[in-house]
Amino acid sequence: MSLLQEEREIILGNEYVEAFDFAEVEEFVKNANKELFISHHFKHSNKMLVQPRGGFPTYNKQFALNEFFVNANVDVLPLTIDSNTRLNDYSTAARMLRLSEENDVDMLNGYPLVNHGYRTTRKMVTHFNKPVSLRHGTPDARLLIEQAIASGIFDIEGGPITYLLPYSKNFPLDKAFLYWKYVEQVCANYSQLNEPINRESFGPLTATLVPPSITIVIQLLEMLLSLQEGVKSFSVSFAQQGSMMQDIVTGHVIKKLARHYAEQTGCGDASIHLVYHQWMGAFPTDQNFAEQLISVATTVAAMVGADKIITKTKQEAAGIPTKEANAETVANTQYSLRILNGLPNITDPEEEEILTAEVMAIMEAVFNDPADTLWRKVFNSIKNGIIDVPFSPHIINHNEMITIRDANKNIRIIKRGNVPIPDRCFAYEKAQCDLTKDTTSIVNDIIHDIGIMQ
Amino acid sequence: MKVVTGVVGNDIHVVANRLIDLSLKARGYEVFNLGVNTYLEEFFDAVVETGADILLISSLNGEAEGWGREVKALKAEYKGLDDLIMMIGGNLTVGTGSADDIVPKYKNYGFDLVCHQIDLNTGLDMLADFIQQQPAKSTAL
Repeated sequence: MSLLQEEREIILGNEYVEAFDFAEVEEFVKNANKELFISHHFKHSNKMLVQPRGGFPTYNKQFALNEFFVNANVDVLPLTIDSNTRLNDYSTAARMLRLSEENDVDMLNGYPLVNHGYRTTRKMVTHFNKPVSLRHGTPDARLLIEQAIASGIFDIEGGPITYLLPYSKNFPLDKAFLYWKYVEQVCANYSQLNEPINRESFGPLTATLVPPSITIVIQLLEMLLSLQEGVKSFSVSFAQQGSMMQDIVTGHVIKKLARHYAEQTGCGDASIHLVYHQWMGAFPTDQNFAEQLISVATTVAAMVGADKIITKTKQEAAGIPTKEANAETVANTQYSLRILNGLPNITDPEEEEILTAEVMAIMEAVFNDPADTLWRKVFNSIKNGIIDVPFSPHIINHNEMITIRDANKNIRIIKRGNVPIPDRCFAYEKAQCDLTKDTTSIVNDIIHDIGIMQ
Repeated sequence: MKVVTGVVGNDIHVVANRLIDLSLKARGYEVFNLGVNTYLEEFFDAVVETGADILLISSLNGEAEGWGREVKALKAEYKGLDDLIMMIGGNLTVGTGSADDIVPKYKNYGFDLVCHQIDLNTGLDMLADFIQQQPAKSTAL
């Protein structure tokens, strides 16, 4: 028996798992309907796929939400997992699920997939026969991913960096790399049976003034870590940044460099897709304004040329949206995409050149780390601040980089810390900003820049 | 002067914490930032370890209210913290409440300065004034 299989049997021997039937699950994936695979849709669809966010604790409420989504002409269904499951606390999730079922009050902020189990969840997934995307935030997602794939969920979001640095203060990063290596291997193995399982990275990170160079570097590294293990379909992603030009340039550079590094590392046979998140920062409380923001985000996504868009709702500022509001945003986004025709093909060559040089310089510094494997190189690079994510709560993150917005709302780096931004690029970034102000006014500007959409 | 700061309890809201760090540094303080998700013991341990003059606790999700009532008892277990300036700021209640009710409550918990939903720079000006009014502590910033 392989080491991986031994580990899988230990993971799936968890007391909260109903007897996991490896052979039956393999047979299910092998014969699963192609419609369930987002990789199949990426290959054959010529429109941007629309996917909302959403997860409810009980089976019945999740089923009802999916019905609303399907009626609103959804392309990809979401399944958002509750926070207890994300922290592997299945006993609390079980208790809260029972309370939710008994009292008709939601005691969980998502669907506790491990507690429902794959046999139950598969009934829902195959009933709707649409691709489902797993949204979570789990550093150790080994058990969750096994259950998800066994349920027919073939689009798996997350990664060791993007699910850790924005969400945790002290979960050990080296452990996260190893747990995600398991996830990649399981996805890669199942990918040989039918259409490939798609992996997707979470580009929004902290959604707070993250410069595109850092976003792109982390997307590329999570992609390479995944492709190295044999994954054949991968989505890089980023969220609306606040400047249409910067988004378009980011889209161009990420597509170009994803292809470049995949080929350079011998993984050129994988298919790579681009996912765009509607604004992930603080939303306006005025629901009319929120709707406008969502519609502008859709326009930018079309200009960026995304393969999939992940939507927000007008109720974002108020908390978890109702299924009605959530379905409405799907229908609205589909409508916006339908009328966005004849888009011009524009870019800013100077910006594109600068951003490309920044990303390549950071990537080179990561590759030059003396460690023997890629994950250790990336780990060391985060530890020593070559990669620095603004506003990450994690203790390993350096927090030395400072960014603000220029007059056109582009995110600019005004302090680079240990991040090897080339001198000429750094000079260009700073030249776009007014740096004559004292730190107190700059802090006020940062507060303003974080809340620009409110 | 040395400041220990951080966000109390199981609160992961990091944005203001980073801005407090930046602003304190800009005003010349030496900052020891414990970040988000910090327990009261960790704050006092850090004050002892660094010999800090000021402890600035922040809270966004309001759970400071639960922690605040334990401050006096815990602080009494440490020696030599009598001169420590205690400040708390952010959103200091779960749900809604007025500063008129909240400020006296926290003063009673042992805080010298209480800033409920007060702008960051106003709060730090209050701190500077407070330091100035303390004769023994008006030295080098």
